[in-house]
Amino acid sequence: MQINVNNKPINTEATNLSTLASELSLPEKGVAVAINNRMVPRSQWEQTPLSEGTSVIIIKAACGG
Amino acid sequence: MIQFISHHTERYTYLDGIRLALDGGIRWVQLRMKDASDEDFLRTGREVRKLCDRYNATFIIDDRVELVREIGADGVHLGKKDMPIAEARRMLGNNVIIGGTANTFEDIEAHYRASANYIGCGPFRFTTTKQGLSPLLGIEGYRSIMQNVREAGFDIPVVAIGGITADDISSLMLTGIAGIALSGAILRADNPIEELKKIMKYE
Repeated sequence: MQINVNNKPINTEATNLSTLASELSLPEKGVAVAINNRMVPRSQWEQTPLSEGTSVIIIKAACGG
Repeated sequence: MIQFISHHTERYTYLDGIRLALDGGIRWVQLRMKDASDEDFLRTGREVRKLCDRYNATFIIDDRVELVREIGADGVHLGKKDMPIAEARRMLGNNVIIGGTANTFEDIEAHYRASANYIGCGPFRFTTTKQGLSPLLGIEGYRSIMQNVREAGFDIPVVAIGGITADDISSLMLTGIAGIALSGAILRADNPIEELKKIMKYE
């Protein structure tokens, strides 16, 4: 499935935000994530489904580049 | 995605303002105390760290690269007159979020290449919170800057800043920005809590 992370299309097997976080090796702390412009606290990542074309914004260190 | 930039008024101290923002659902805070001493900044910063931990919020400090570790902040925001991003990256390593202020696509490109993790791009319109700013962007400015960012393939979140109010958010988000940074709009409102509710509808 294809989703957008920081406006860049990526392919992922993840069906929820928590699995995406492990796929992208997001650090334990200091990460801000928004799905379709809404910020999602870490405690809700597991219950937050991803679908084709979902827009994810991730603010974290060592992002991009 | 909304970043609250600390601000103080006659009614609210920095900490009051941040507490109010977190209570209202904000999960991204920047501590900005331009005229404060490092000592005051450190003291307040440590309190803000505790608050942000309690609310699971991301915590960025303005400008003071040398205090990031001491405060335990998640990152630092660097304005145009602050330390260059590449230098801050060398000092802080890869585990710290670095944000940079931009007024043009060229600024964004330079920050992106210097390893910034997000951009605060503005000003949207005239603001009394921050004076002596670069030319105003307006909606059209963001539209063209974001088009350039997409065409260049830069996967860096761009947050709009500068004189933004609740009523601007929906049209600004359509330009492709990742979020909004707010300061004065909340605490200067007649009823900050109601204003915050209005803003969080867009979150």
